[in-house]
Amino acid sequence: MRRWPAIAAAMVALGALSGAAAYQHVAPRQDERTGAWQEIAWPFPRDGWPAGKAFRCGVAACGAEVAVYVRPKIGFCNCDRGVADDDEVDRVADLDLMSQHFVPRAPGDVVRIADMPGRIRAYDLNMSDGSRHAAIGVAVSRRCDLLVAVAHGRADAPELRRAALELLATREMTRWAMAAMEGR
Amino acid sequence: MSGRLKLAASFSILFLAYPGIASAQQQVIGAPPEERNMKLVGASDLQARSGYQPTIHHQGDRWIAYIGHHGGSDDIPAPVNPQTGKAEPNGTSIVDVTDPAQPKYLRHLPGQEGKYESGGAQMVRICDGKALPKGDRNAVYMLRTFGGEAHEIWNVADPANPVLITRIAGLKDTHKNWWECDTGIAFLVSGAPDWRTRRMTQVYDLSDPAHPQKIRDFGLPGQEPGSTGAVPTELHGPISTGPSGNRVYFGYGTNKGGFLQIVDREKLLNGPKEPTADNLRLPEIARLAMSAFNGAHTTFPMPGMPIAEFAKDKDGKTRDIVMIVDEAILNECNEPRQMVWFADITVENRPMMISSYTVPEATGSFCERGGRFGAHSSNESMAPVYYKKMAFISFFNAGVRALDIRDPYHPVEVGYFIPSITAATDKRCVKIDGKDRCRVAIQTNNVETDERGYVYIVDRANTGLHILELTGPARVVAGIQ
Repeated sequence: MRRWPAIAAAMVALGALSGAAAYQHVAPRQDERTGAWQEIAWPFPRDGWPAGKAFRCGVAACGAEVAVYVRPKIGFCNCDRGVADDDEVDRVADLDLMSQHFVPRAPGDVVRIADMPGRIRAYDLNMSDGSRHAAIGVAVSRRCDLLVAVAHGRADAPELRRAALELLATREMTRWAMAAMEGR
Repeated sequence: MSGRLKLAASFSILFLAYPGIASAQQQVIGAPPEERNMKLVGASDLQARSGYQPTIHHQGDRWIAYIGHHGGSDDIPAPVNPQTGKAEPNGTSIVDVTDPAQPKYLRHLPGQEGKYESGGAQMVRICDGKALPKGDRNAVYMLRTFGGEAHEIWNVADPANPVLITRIAGLKDTHKNWWECDTGIAFLVSGAPDWRTRRMTQVYDLSDPAHPQKIRDFGLPGQEPGSTGAVPTELHGPISTGPSGNRVYFGYGTNKGGFLQIVDREKLLNGPKEPTADNLRLPEIARLAMSAFNGAHTTFPMPGMPIAEFAKDKDGKTRDIVMIVDEAILNECNEPRQMVWFADITVENRPMMISSYTVPEATGSFCERGGRFGAHSSNESMAPVYYKKMAFISFFNAGVRALDIRDPYHPVEVGYFIPSITAATDKRCVKIDGKDRCRVAIQTNNVETDERGYVYIVDRANTGLHILELTGPARVVAGIQ
C-alpha cells in the first residue's frame, strides 16, 4: 500500500528530470557567449514562426552596436530551386520584424552558411522614428527549409555583413543551425 | 494488490504500452478503410501518380474526371504509363467515371518534368465550348497548369485524345486557377517574372480559348514590380461569383499569415490596370486577416445562406458565408493545426470569423500515423446537391471529412472515409536525430463532388482516386434519396 506514493513520486521525478534535460538541450542560455557576441532574449512578439536566437555585439568588439537575429523557417522554401534570387531574400529574411519599410542597396550575393547555399543582401531600413539604419538579410536553404538571419545596427553595411557572417560561421552557430534545421 | 496499487500498475502498463497503441494506428496494407456514413463505390490507381486537383465534368452522356498531378517522387520521378509502356512525367489523368463503380482510365497527358511541386500539372478546370461566349460549340476546353512554367488549354471533346489549343508560358510559378465558363474570364494564378512574389493573379479573357487576351496583373501592394519593403503573403487561389455576384474571393497563404481578400470584380476587370500600389488597392473591398498560424488555401463563398437559428430575427436571417480552408504542409504535426474556418461576410467591410472545425487528433492518433495531418482543401463544386448544405474537406492522413454546414455557426462532422493504403502508397519522412524516420499513410489531398452526389478524393502519396457516396444520416443531411 505504501508503494503507491513512491511510484508516483518516482514518475514525477523522472518526468521532471527528462523535461529539465530536454530544456537544457534546446534552450539557449541567456549569458551564453559566442566570441564577442552576447546572446540575448528574442525581442520580437510571436509570429508565424517560432523564435530563434538573438545576439548583440558591442562597440568594443564590433566597432559599433550590432544585433543579429537568426531562425529556421521549416517548410518555407521552394524545395528544388532554393533561394534562387534576391526577391526571395526580400520576402523571407525577417527584415520586416524591424521595419516594414526597407530598400535594397544593391543586388545580393551568393553565400553559404552551415553548408547551406543561399543569398545575402544589404538594405536601408526606414525605422518608425524616422531614423535610417543599414541592415543585412541572409537566407539559405536545405531542401524545403530555410535558415534566415538579419543583422542591423549602427555600423555601415559592409561592417554589418562582415560581423554577421563571422558570427554565423562560428562552430557553435553552425552546430546550432544544423540541429535547428532538423527540428532538434 | 490494493486498489491503488492495481491502478498504478494499470497506468504503468498503459505507459509502457503507449508506443504500441500509437503503432496500432499505423495503416497496414490489406486492412479495410476507416469509414462512417461514407462508403467506397469505385477506385482507380491513377498509375500511382501523386493526385492533386480533381474536376468532374458532365460531358454529353458521360462523366469525365480530370485529375491534376504533382511531379514524381525521388524514387519514381516519371512512372510508367501502362497504356504507352513509357515513363512519363506526371501530368493530367483523364478517367471516365460514368459508371463510378468501374472507372475507365482513358489517358495520361504528361506534364512538366520535375519532382513533387516542381513538376506535373497540378490544376485543372473545364468549360464547354458552347458555354463560352466565343468558344467552338463542339469543343470542351481543359485549362491546366504545366508545372510552374505555363498554363495550357486543351480541347478534350474526345477526352481520350486531347488537342493542345493554347499555351501561356514564361512564368515562374502557377497554382489554383478559376475560370468563369459563362464569361470566359479566367483568374490565373501565375508568377509573372518581374513581380516580387512567387504567385499572383493574371486576369485573362479566355472567352475564345484559341486567342487569350490579357486584361491585367493583380496582387497585393508590395508585390508589384519596383516596390520595396515587406512583401505580403503570396496568393494561393481565387474563386469568383461572376458578373451576378460581382465578387472575387482571394485566399492568400497556405499554412501561415493567411487572409481572405474580398474584391469587386467589376473594378478589378475595368479599373486602372497599371500595377501601382493605388491601382492594386482600388478593387479591394475588405480583408480578413487570419492568425499568423494559419493560411487560406481555399476561400469558398456561400452567399445568402438562410440560418435556421436566425429565422425569427427581423434582420440578418440570411448570411453571406465564406468557408476558408488552411493547408497543412509539414509531416507529423510539426506546425500549428491547419483546419477549416467559417467567416460571416454579410457586412462586407467587417468580416468576422464565426466558427471552426478540425478532426479531433485523438480519434485516430493522427499525429503519429505518418505524413501530414490537417486540412488541405474543400470541394469547389457549387452544384445544388451539396451547395450550402454539406462540405467535404480533405484532411491528409484523416481522409475526407463530410461536414453538415447548414448552420455555419456550428458545423458538424457527419461522416468520413480514410482509404486503405496499397503497395503504391508512398512514404512520408521526418528527421529524428538527424536521420529520416518514414511512415506510410494515406494523404487525402483534394476532393471534388459531381452533380450526382458522388465524392471524389485523390491521394498525394500515390494511392490513386477513390469514388465515394454518402450513407445513412449523411445522405439525409444532403437530402439525397
